[in-house]
Amino acid sequence: MRIWLIFVALLLPSFLLAGPVRAVATSTFVADLVRSVGGEDVEVVGLIPHGVDPHMFKPTIADVNHLMRADVVFFNGLGLEGRMADVLRRLERRGTRAVAVAESIPTEYLLQDEDNPNQADPHIWFDPRLWARAVDSVVRVLSELDASNAEHFTARGEALSASYESLHEWAAASLAKIPPERRILITSHDAFQYFGRAYDLEVIGVQGISTVGEAGLSDITRIVDRVRGQSIPAVFVETSVSSAAVRRISQDSGVRIGGSLYSDSTGTPGEVLHSPTGMRYDPSTYTGAFRHNVLTIVDALGL
Amino acid sequence: MSARLEIPAFDWLRVVVEPWALYPETTIWIVLMGWLVSLVCGAVGLFLILRRMAMTGDAISHSVLPGLVLAFLWTASRATLPMMLGALIAGVLSVILIEWIHRSSRVKPDAAMGIVFSLFFAVGVILVTAYADHIDLDADCVLYGEIAYVPLEPMWALAGIELGPAPVMRMAMVGLIVAGLGFLFFKELITTSFDPVLAASLGLSPKAFHYGLMIVLSVVIVSSFEAVGAILVVAMLIFPGATALLLTHRLRLALALLPMIAALHSLLGYHLAVWFDVTVAGSMAVAAGGLLAIAWAVYCIWARVARSSH
Repeated sequence: MRIWLIFVALLLPSFLLAGPVRAVATSTFVADLVRSVGGEDVEVVGLIPHGVDPHMFKPTIADVNHLMRADVVFFNGLGLEGRMADVLRRLERRGTRAVAVAESIPTEYLLQDEDNPNQADPHIWFDPRLWARAVDSVVRVLSELDASNAEHFTARGEALSASYESLHEWAAASLAKIPPERRILITSHDAFQYFGRAYDLEVIGVQGISTVGEAGLSDITRIVDRVRGQSIPAVFVETSVSSAAVRRISQDSGVRIGGSLYSDSTGTPGEVLHSPTGMRYDPSTYTGAFRHNVLTIVDALGL
Repeated sequence: MSARLEIPAFDWLRVVVEPWALYPETTIWIVLMGWLVSLVCGAVGLFLILRRMAMTGDAISHSVLPGLVLAFLWTASRATLPMMLGALIAGVLSVILIEWIHRSSRVKPDAAMGIVFSLFFAVGVILVTAYADHIDLDADCVLYGEIAYVPLEPMWALAGIELGPAPVMRMAMVGLIVAGLGFLFFKELITTSFDPVLAASLGLSPKAFHYGLMIVLSVVIVSSFEAVGAILVVAMLIFPGATALLLTHRLRLALALLPMIAALHSLLGYHLAVWFDVTVAGSMAVAAGGLLAIAWAVYCIWARVARSSH
C-alpha cells in the first residue's frame, strides 16, 4: 500500500504539499519555545531527544531529512550546539532560515567568559526574563514566513512573555526564602550562571561550561573543602550530564544530593509531577522544568 | 533512562526504497561521501598495511589534538582553516618524531609510535585543561565533522551547474590528488614498500617516500576528519585494504577491488543506519567490519579448496 503513496508523493509538485510552516528546533528548551509560539499553525520537530546533552548529540538520517525539508531551523546558539550550529547557519545559503534565539539578546545582558570575550554563556533560559526576549525572535521569524498567521504568533508570544515574567516573580519569591549563608548552588556543570545572577545565588559548576571535559581533582577537592567549611546543605546532579563528580563530592564531604535538576534538556513528556504545595507541573515543558528546579533547590537549601 | 535492546523490524520499503525515492538528495550525497572516504582512506591504508604501519593512522588521529588547541589559542577562533593547519602540522611533526626516536635509539617503530601519540595527546589534554577550560574546545566539537550533515552543506557550482555539497567536492579533490600521486610514483612506492635495499640501490630514497606517504596520510586524515568525523576515518584506513588483501595477493588487483569494497561499505552502512535509526559513521564502520568477516570466510574456504586440489 505504502509504495503507492510513495509514487504519489513523487508525482505531486511540491507546491501542492505546502502546508503549515515546517520548523525544526534543536534543544528541548528551544523546541518548547517554538511550539508555544507556533501552536497548531506550525509543525515543529525537536531534534535533540529529551535527556540528551546537546554537546553529545549525533544526528540520524531521519534528523537530516527533517532539516532538508524544513522552512526554518531554530537553535539556541552561543555555542550550545557546538559545530552543528555552523552547519545550521550554512543552511541559510540553501534558502532555509536559521535562527539562533539566544543571539537576539543584547550582549550587555549576556555573561561573558573573562578569558575569552567572544564566548558568552549559552544557558540563557535559566533567567525567564531573558528567555522572554528570545520569544520575540521566534514571533518575528514565524510571522515573516507565514504572514496570514502573524496575529496568532504575536498573541501567543505576548501571552508567553507574560507567563515567563510571572514565572520569574514566583521563582524570586520562592528562592528568597533561602537564608544568605546557604545561597550556594553546586551542580555538575556550569549551566546555572544566569540563574544565580537572577536570584542571587553563588553558582559552582564542577565541570565548567562544556560537559565534555572531566572535572579536575583540584576542582573536586576545592569544592569538598568549601562544602565542609561552610556547612552547605546540598549539592545537585543534572538529568543530562554525568553525575559522577557531584556524587564524589557528596561522598567525600558527607553532604547530601539535593535532587536532580533539568539543565540542558527538559524532562520526558508524559510525566506530571506535584510540588509539596500541590502544584501540578509537566517537566517536559520549559515552565515545568524551571519550576521543578526552583522547587528542588528551595527544598534542599531552604530551612 | 531505560536501556532496552530492541531490533526494529526490517521493512524493506522504509529501509531500502524510501531513502532513494523520497529523500534522494540526502541518500545520494551521504552514500557518495562514504564511498569517497572509504576509497581514499582505503587506498592510503593499503600501503600502510603493506608497510606494517597500519596503526599510524590511529596514532596521527590522536596526535592532532595539541595542534588544534594551539591553533585555537593562537587565532582565538574556531575557524576551520587554522584548525586544519594546526592539526596537519602536529600530525606531520609526530610522524617525524616517531621516525627520529626509532632511528636514534633501540626503541622499535611500534613502541616509538605509542610513545609519540600518547605524549602528543597528553600534551593536548593538558593544554585544554590549562588554557581552554572555560570554553567548548574538544576535537569532537571543533574538528570532527559528521557525515550525516554532508547533504545540508552549501553546493559548489561551476558555470551555474551545481556540482555537489562542499565537503564531497573537497574530498573528491583530495582523492584526485592522492590518485594522481599514486599513479605518478606507483613503481617507486612498490619498490620502497617491498624492497628498501633494492630501492636504495636504484637511487630511490626510501626515507623520502616514507615521509611523502606520511604527509599524504596526514592530509587525508585531517581533511576527512573535518568532513566525516574520526570513527569512520580510523576504520576506513584499515578495513578496505585488509579486506582486499584477504581476497588477493596481487597489489594491482587489490587496488582494483577497492572501489567495489568501498561502495559496499557505504551502501550497507547507510541502509543499516536507516534501519536502526542510528549514526551513519558508526554504521558504515560496522558494515566494513561485517564485510571483512565475509572476506575472511571466503579466504578460508578458498584456502581449503586450493589445498585439497593439490
